[in-house]
Amino acid sequence: MARKANPARLVLALLVAAALAVFLLYTSIAGGGNPSIAPSKLAGRTGEVQLAGLVVGPVAGDAHAGGLRFRLRDIAGPSKARVPIRYAGSVPDLFKVGRHIVLTGRLRNGVFVAEPGSMITKCPSKYVPKSGDSST
Amino acid sequence: MAELGRAALIVTLGLTAYALVAGAAAAHIGRRRLARSAQNALVAAFGSTLVAAGVLLAALLRNDFSFVYVAQTTSEALPTAYTISAFWGGQEGSLLLWLLVLTGFGAAAVTLNRGWARDLVVWVVPVFAAVAFFFSFLVVVVASPFATQQAPLDGAGMTPSLQNPYMLAHPPLLYLGYVGLTVPFAFALGALISGRMDERWLVATRRWTLLAWTALGIGQLLGAHWAYEEVGWGGYYAWDPVENAALMPWLAATAFLHSVMIQEKRGMLRVWNVLLVILAFSLSLFGTFLTRSGVVNSIHSFTQSSIGPWFLGFIAVVVAVSLVIVFRRLPQLRSPTKLESPVSREAAFLYNNLLLLALCLAILWGVVYPMVSEAVRGEAVVLGRSYYDFFLRVFGLPLLLLMGIGPLVAWRRASLRSLGTTFRWPTAFALATGVVLLALGAGSSVPGLIAYTFSAFVAATIVLEFARGTRARKALGAASWPRAFSSLISRNRRRYGGYVVHAAIVLLAIGIAGSSAFDSVAEARLTQGQAMSIGDYRLTYQSLEERSAANATELRARFAVTRGERDLGMLEAGKNAYTVEQQVSNEVGIRSDPLTGEDLFVIAEQIDPDGTVYLRVFVKPLVNLIWIAGLVFLLGSVIALWPDAREQRRLVERTRDVGVPATR
Repeated sequence: MARKANPARLVLALLVAAALAVFLLYTSIAGGGNPSIAPSKLAGRTGEVQLAGLVVGPVAGDAHAGGLRFRLRDIAGPSKARVPIRYAGSVPDLFKVGRHIVLTGRLRNGVFVAEPGSMITKCPSKYVPKSGDSST
Repeated sequence: MAELGRAALIVTLGLTAYALVAGAAAAHIGRRRLARSAQNALVAAFGSTLVAAGVLLAALLRNDFSFVYVAQTTSEALPTAYTISAFWGGQEGSLLLWLLVLTGFGAAAVTLNRGWARDLVVWVVPVFAAVAFFFSFLVVVVASPFATQQAPLDGAGMTPSLQNPYMLAHPPLLYLGYVGLTVPFAFALGALISGRMDERWLVATRRWTLLAWTALGIGQLLGAHWAYEEVGWGGYYAWDPVENAALMPWLAATAFLHSVMIQEKRGMLRVWNVLLVILAFSLSLFGTFLTRSGVVNSIHSFTQSSIGPWFLGFIAVVVAVSLVIVFRRLPQLRSPTKLESPVSREAAFLYNNLLLLALCLAILWGVVYPMVSEAVRGEAVVLGRSYYDFFLRVFGLPLLLLMGIGPLVAWRRASLRSLGTTFRWPTAFALATGVVLLALGAGSSVPGLIAYTFSAFVAATIVLEFARGTRARKALGAASWPRAFSSLISRNRRRYGGYVVHAAIVLLAIGIAGSSAFDSVAEARLTQGQAMSIGDYRLTYQSLEERSAANATELRARFAVTRGERDLGMLEAGKNAYTVEQQVSNEVGIRSDPLTGEDLFVIAEQIDPDGTVYLRVFVKPLVNLIWIAGLVFLLGSVIALWPDAREQRRLVERTRDVGVPATR
């Protein structure tokens, strides 16, 4: 009986090992994703980050020609920091001044340049499933 | 009126508390009449919750804005259908609906099974009551749907994006699925606590699990279709935490539905099954926690509220208590039979389970990673789409292949030579399909090509199984081929219903591979009269129209579409500006090809005052197979779910000798 149990145990052990290997492979190839931070914490960071904040007007420019320009501030907290943003690509329906948005991008010469089409909007107070999404 | 609702919920709270305490005491000291009274309390709790739900529904329909909940979720102008859907449009109503379904399912499951599995049901009642107590506590103390106020003139109304027919079906189906997973959980724990570790709890809950799983699956597909048609970004699934919250319990339940067959047939995997049920239930609670607590960045923004910590605490209690109970019963859960060969039906089921679980846990890791990294490194790190896509390929593709192999492998042990004979034709068919597709240029995406090839393999095995079974029925004396086919299915609904569901998953895989691996996109800025091309489609911007609807101004750009030489008519895309809500929504134009299942998907990203339109256009091959897969999935589930008195009798018969697993 003991011998018969062996192949199953072996298979299980192999599968667990394979799963671990796959995981390690992934983390070594694709890296660990982007840190998500608030506008007040952005200063001095040069790597790619997810920036979550509140839209501050005025909103200028054209999202499909030259890019949209506006500023972001912290959603909560005492910080007065305002980060200038440049964004090109799809603009979700819910985007406007005062809304929570999330952008992926990096700081270049004091301006946060977002990846095209990376904007995600959040409606702060209401139940809104399937609100706005621009990830592709 | 609000007092009546509040009172009814307090009665529910009391009844569930009684069912919990009296039920546990009765089961512990073996008082039959007290146990009966606890069961009745659970049924009565359903009654009082029904009264509370009736009060809320009446308040919604009467637009009684003195109810804070009604004022927050509806308005005078809201159509009646959406007024009803406001029941689950907000948090308090959602929790009440949850409690209603929970007590309803509990009352029904207990009543239906107490005749033949009394010793098991006595312990199921307190488990159910404990879960129901938590939810009634929430609606009584933390988030009451019956809070009142000085009635304002009008309510805040419903967000335009929710005013959609999908709102009537998608959330309730998800709730049915989430809550339905409580039934197998309660019976599993009941079996463990009572020490009746035979297979009866599986027989009692099989259909319930299947029902919950079907509702969860269909609910998610409806949500995907909603996102595809309404949100206007050209996709149907974004690996968003809230979407994942529904996918994870579904995956765990899928694993359970498979491994349960191993336990029924061979008495194996008992610990595993119990753990899967606990996992599925905990994940459904975790999903609610995710959507309601606002701890993760999601495109779905629900009310962020104070119930998050309550949920987290409850999940911790559920997991801890369940694991302690399982641990204490480990000696009695040992299987009488062992896996005999790594090439056997049992082993195939086991691999399927491991892959499903691996996928589920990889997704879970992705969802909690921001929180984990924040706790460890002080900075939340968000895993993107590539993370999930990677694991979908790594675990999903082998799973797809296994779906073709598993059902054809012999129980206990299979010889490699017999496998060669069994799989000769499906393999040949799959390879031929792969080669043809490669010649047609599908090599542009290797995962896509693999998905197509595996899908062809699975499809061939399913057709083969149906053909073989029908032929056998005919040989056994069925009058005609159609009759042989229908008797084949009706004699083993679960098996052939399962095959139909497998066919649905094949369609889904082809649809997902086609639309994500072989899609194309083009963008252009057009003034009137200008045209753009994508693939062999050509869109000419004809005119811009402005119309006024009841609650919105509709701006539509009209395009003449041709494909090659063929004229495909006009397509519209534009935006709706909702006057009252001060919100704009994208209205995409979709042209589906009924023959190839391909969609031309047009988004008018930006419409300038001078009439210039910035367009984003997708061609999504085979995407309609995903929606067809939903119908096939439903068909297969209904076949498997259809009441079958003969089969149920057989199963009850088989488990009559308590403690003896049905081996063969």
